[in-house]
Amino acid sequence: MRLGMVIDLKRCMACYGCQMSCKAEHGTPPGVFFARVLKREEGHYPTPRMLFLPVLCNHCSDAPCVSACPTGASHYAEHGIVDIDKDMCVGCRACMMACPYNNRYFLDERRYYFGEAGPTPYEEACSDRHPEGVVMKCNFCRHRLAEGKDPACVENCAAKARTFGDLDDPESIVSRLIKERGGFTLHPEAGTGPNVYYLGP
Amino acid sequence: MNRYDQLIVDLRGDYRPQREWGVGRGVLMVVGHFLVGVAGGTWVMASIYGVTAGLAVAYVLAALGALAHLAYLGRPERALGMMRRFRTSWIARGFIGLTLFLIGGGIYLAALLLAPDDVAGPVTRTGQVIAAVGTVVIIGYMGFCYTASKAIPFWHSPLHPALYIAFAFRGGVAALLVISAVTGVASGAGLLEMWIGVTTVVALFFALEIQGAWSGGNVAARWSVRDILAGRLALLFYGGTLALGLIVPLALLLVPGAHSPAAMALVGLTSAAGDFFMKLATVRAGVYLPLVMPARRQRA
Ligand code: SF4
Ligand code: SF4
Repeated sequence: MRLGMVIDLKRCMACYGCQMSCKAEHGTPPGVFFARVLKREEGHYPTPRMLFLPVLCNHCSDAPCVSACPTGASHYAEHGIVDIDKDMCVGCRACMMACPYNNRYFLDERRYYFGEAGPTPYEEACSDRHPEGVVMKCNFCRHRLAEGKDPACVENCAAKARTFGDLDDPESIVSRLIKERGGFTLHPEAGTGPNVYYLGP
Repeated sequence: MNRYDQLIVDLRGDYRPQREWGVGRGVLMVVGHFLVGVAGGTWVMASIYGVTAGLAVAYVLAALGALAHLAYLGRPERALGMMRRFRTSWIARGFIGLTLFLIGGGIYLAALLLAPDDVAGPVTRTGQVIAAVGTVVIIGYMGFCYTASKAIPFWHSPLHPALYIAFAFRGGVAALLVISAVTGVASGAGLLEMWIGVTTVVALFFALEIQGAWSGGNVAARWSVRDILAGRLALLFYGGTLALGLIVPLALLLVPGAHSPAAMALVGLTSAAGDFFMKLATVRAGVYLPLVMPARRQRA
């Protein structure tokens, strides 16, 4: 089984629901976005248009972040998920230089959303999950998968632009969407074998 | 701008320089690479010229470089774990090489110091061989750490390892110039010629790398070149690398007559300083591949 995601850019309305639900699920510190939405304006008046691109870790099959990691902290977990063992990471950040998609974050110091006011109870509860001095990133919500749920960004996408499933199964919805609608990946020339696919806008 | 605000600005832009290596505390990593590179080159040059003081200097530089690397890590207390992934990670290989160098070099230097008459003894030889293996690794691995960074097209060049190897030798010659000026050992004339030769190779490799990055068609690589030659890193490059690292030593060498030990030491020091700024500039010039917005349907 190879888990992957398909993001339909025709359905995406750039509401940031994925970004916010990911923040809520993982309680990530300020400046850390496992899932984020890139926006860019294209063209000129009277025909400008807004382009959206929701991004997250692609859980690459040939992940350069995993091969660059000297400690083994970055590793392939079950079903091709690329994860980081926070207790093994030394914070060398070689993985950040290797990821062609900028999907990794280094937490140099503890930060809270309300600065001087200190952490909210939720931030306090989540801070153990994100220790300082190590790198962090999306893990396809492994804890949710273990409970039989979809990743938070998939579950909370109001436009149902995200579909999650087994890319190795040709009959799965993700495989069929990719085949029928010409799914593509980001930076295929990097040879990383991303497992997050996009359907054109 | 503080680190957090900078990160948010970077995330919004198409053009995103890397800010982990060579910036803020990340300068320690460049210092580490610089010292370890010079240490490897110095060990080789000192072995060729038979300068024991050079070996000792190389050892101290490598130890300082190791400390700088440790100080850079987010979790230095876990550093031993960095040996695990030697099959795929150049950082792991470098860590093993540096460890071998420090162990072998330590044994060799201690043996030279404690039993100077027994240079061919088994302990001395073992130390020498281990240090030699470590030297090859520490001279060779650094460029590959950058080349392995697929996200940064400017570094992802096959020339980068060659450039770093050439840097190590230039650093070694520079260190030996300083040592020979201070101790009066080794042939100054031969070293100066060697400095000119190695400097020519470094300049050639660098020019080729810049040319390749500019003409290679990758927008991020071109950003890097623009940053070095005419952007945020121009001062480091023109002031540190070109003026201090090339023009000053060349001007000193062009002064007619025999070169005084002080002039030779100055050539070595300015050359080494130029190398440091060159490494700092090329590391800071790393720009991530931009994520291209799909404007219309594309097929995989
Ligand atoms: S997207 Fe980046 S962090 Fe995620 S697996 Fe691929 S290379 Fe690694
Ligand atoms: S920062 Fe951590 S996860 Fe990344 S390469 Fe270094 S040890 Fe591995």
